[in-house]
Amino acid sequence: MGSKDGDGRTMNDSLNRRSRNGPDMDRVASGGMNRAWLRWVPAVAVPAVIAAGVLAGSIPARAGDPLPDKTPAEVIALLAGHRTHTFSGTIEQTSELGLPELPATGPTSGPASAGGAASIMELLTGEHTARVYMDGKAKARIQVVDRLAERDIIRHGNDVWFYSSKDNSAAHLTLPAHARDLPLTDPGNTGTPPPAAPEPDMPVPPTPQELADKFLAAADSSTAMSVGPAVEAAGRPAYNLLLEPRAEGTLVGSVAIAVDAANGMPLSVAVTARGAAQPAFSAGFTSLSLDAPDEALFNFVPPPGSTVEELQFRHPEHVPPTGVPGAPGMHEAPDDPAGSIKAKIRPYLDGTGWETVVEVPAEAGAASAANTLLSRNPLLAQAAVAVPGGRLLSTSLFNVLLTDDGRIFAGMVPPERLQAASTAP
Amino acid sequence: MLPSSARLGASGTPGAEAGAAPRGSGLSLLWSELRVLFGRRRTWALLLALAAIPVLVAVAVRISSTVPPGRGPAFLDRITQNGLFVAFTAMLVSVPLFLPLTVGVVAGDTIAGEANMGTLRYLLVAPTGRVRLLLVKYAGALAFCLAAPVTVGLAGAAIGAALFPVGPVTLLSGDVIEAPEAALRILLIAAYLSVSLAGLSAIGLFLSTLTVVPVGAMAATVVVSVVSQVLDQLPQLEWLHPWLFSHYWLGFGDLLRQPVLWDSFASNALLQAGYVAVFGALAYGRFVTKDVLS
Repeated sequence: MGSKDGDGRTMNDSLNRRSRNGPDMDRVASGGMNRAWLRWVPAVAVPAVIAAGVLAGSIPARAGDPLPDKTPAEVIALLAGHRTHTFSGTIEQTSELGLPELPATGPTSGPASAGGAASIMELLTGEHTARVYMDGKAKARIQVVDRLAERDIIRHGNDVWFYSSKDNSAAHLTLPAHARDLPLTDPGNTGTPPPAAPEPDMPVPPTPQELADKFLAAADSSTAMSVGPAVEAAGRPAYNLLLEPRAEGTLVGSVAIAVDAANGMPLSVAVTARGAAQPAFSAGFTSLSLDAPDEALFNFVPPPGSTVEELQFRHPEHVPPTGVPGAPGMHEAPDDPAGSIKAKIRPYLDGTGWETVVEVPAEAGAASAANTLLSRNPLLAQAAVAVPGGRLLSTSLFNVLLTDDGRIFAGMVPPERLQAASTAP
Repeated sequence: MLPSSARLGASGTPGAEAGAAPRGSGLSLLWSELRVLFGRRRTWALLLALAAIPVLVAVAVRISSTVPPGRGPAFLDRITQNGLFVAFTAMLVSVPLFLPLTVGVVAGDTIAGEANMGTLRYLLVAPTGRVRLLLVKYAGALAFCLAAPVTVGLAGAAIGAALFPVGPVTLLSGDVIEAPEAALRILLIAAYLSVSLAGLSAIGLFLSTLTVVPVGAMAATVVVSVVSQVLDQLPQLEWLHPWLFSHYWLGFGDLLRQPVLWDSFASNALLQAGYVAVFGALAYGRFVTKDVLS
C-alpha cells in the first residue's frame, strides 16, 4: 500500500502546521497541494471512464459478418416464410405519441391499479415490457411486466387463462375445437383475420409479429420498400426492411421492420411519424432465445384465493364481452376500442392501405358507444379534445374521432380526414 | 473513547512501524470495526426499529378487517391468507424511507463520527493508512446494509408465521411456490435491497468525510435519498431517471415472478457499482487530502 507513508506524512504535516506555524509552512502547503491534486485524480477519472463506457455502449454494434444482400421482396418472402414458433424473449414497447403521460407510478398505485379503465391509455404511453414464451402454435404465455404487478395470458391447447396479480383474479376460456390459432399471437398465421375472442380487459402490447403483419397488410403498391443497412436486434443480425408510404393522406412517415437474417422472424418494428426524426412507436425483442421454454410455464392453475371467472367463447358478430373479470356491465358497450374495431371492422369509403379509415357504427341498444367509452375512461376523456362533430383523440401516428352520435372513426390519417369521413353521407 | 481504544488494541500499538503493518491488520481492523458497529446500542436500536415495521404491519392487518384486493401497498391483501407476505409488504414499505434513513445514519457516521469524538487522529496514528480506514469504514456500512433488509425480511416472516397461516406463496405471475422457496425469495429480495443501498452508503461515506459533525452527514445522506426519489417521480426528468441511484429500488418485484426476471437486479447492481466507484473516489480524494485535526 504505497499511500501509507504519504498518509503518515500528511498527518505529520498537519500536526507540524498546527504546532509550529513556522515560515516554511508555504513549502509544506504547496507540497501538500501537489499531492492533493494527485489524490483527486480518481474522482475525476472514474466519472470520465463511466462516461466513455456509456458512449461506447451507445454506439450500435456492427454485425460481425456482413449479411448477403437481399431485395425487399426477398426480405418479405423471408419474413412471410418463417416457421419459428418456439422461442422465449422479452419485448419492450416504447410510445411517444404525444398523449399525456399517466401519473407517475408509485409503489401503491399505478396504471395497473387503476384497473381496466386506464389500460388502453396506459399501453399507448410510456414504456412497457412483456415476456413472451411460445412452444409451437398451441402453447403460449405472455407476461406483461408492471411494477410490482403482472398480467399473464397463458394458452395451453384450447385452454386460455388470464391472470392479473393486482386483484388476484383469473379468467378461463375454452376455445372451440376449430379455433386452432386463437386467441394469442400466432406467428405464421397469415390466413383470414381471426374472429375476435372474448378477452378480459387486459390489453397486451402487440408483438413485433402482429405489428409486422399489420403494416405489411397496409403496404400497397404506392409504398416504397427498401432494405436499409443491416441492424442488430436482440443481439441477432437482422435485415432492416423499410416501408415508406407515398400516399399523402397518412401520418405515417416510415416503418422499419427488423427481420432476423437467420430465420426470418420479425424482431422489432418502429414507426416514425411523417417529418419526425425519432420513432413515435417501437416494439421489439430485447432478448430472444430459440430454445423451447420450460413446459411448466404453460401449465397454469389458478392460485388459491383467486377469483376465477369462466368466459364464454363468442362469435365475432356478437359484441365481445369485455371488462375486468367480475366487473358489472359485461354486456355493455365495449370499452376496448381496439377490440371493438377488430370485431366490427368496416373499411370506410375509398380509404385503402395507409389511408384506411375504419368506422365503428353506432349500435342500437348501445347507441353511445363512444360516450360510454369516454365516461368509463376518464383519462381518455381528458386526452380527447372537443372538435366540431365530436371529440378527437389525436396522436402523432393516428387519430380517433368519437362523434357525438356515437360512431367511432379511426385511422393513421390527419383529423380532417376523419371529420370528412364522419360527415360524408 | 471506547471505540478507538478497542480498535487500537486490535490493530497493534500506535507506535508500530508504518511499513511493517502486517497484512492481517486490515482484517483485524475490519473485525474490530464490525464489533464496534454492532456493539453499539444505536445500531441495535436502528435494527429494532426496522424489525418493528413488519410487526406493525402484521398486527394492524390482524386486528383490522380484511383488506380488499388492490388497496394499500402491494401484497397487503394477501397477508391474511399467507403470513409470509408480511415480509414482502414490510420490505416494500421500508424501501422509500426507513431503510435509507437507517443506512444514512450509519454511513454518515463513518468518518465524521470518529472525527467528532476526536478518535480519528488516533486511528490514523495506528499503522492503518487512510485508504485502509476508508475501506474498512465502508465495509462496515455495507455490513449494515446487509443486516438491515435481512432484519426486516426475517422479522416479517417470523411475525407473519406467528399471526397468520403459512403456506404456498402466489407469485406475481400467478404461479405458486412452496414456503421454503418463498423463504429463499425473501433472502433474495433482501440481497437486492442490500445492493440497492450500497450506492447510498458510498454517498454517505463521502459526505461523512466532508464534516466533523456526524448529524450533518447523516441528514445530508437521507436528504439525498429523498431528493433522488422525488426526481425519479418527475416525468419531465425522464432522461435522468436511469441515472438515479434510487431508480431500481422498487424493482425487487421482479424477483417475485416466475421465472425470475433478473434484468432489474443486473441493472441495479451496475448502477450501484457506478455510484460506489464515483463516490468512493470522491471520498478517497477528500479523505487523504484532509487535514485531520481531531
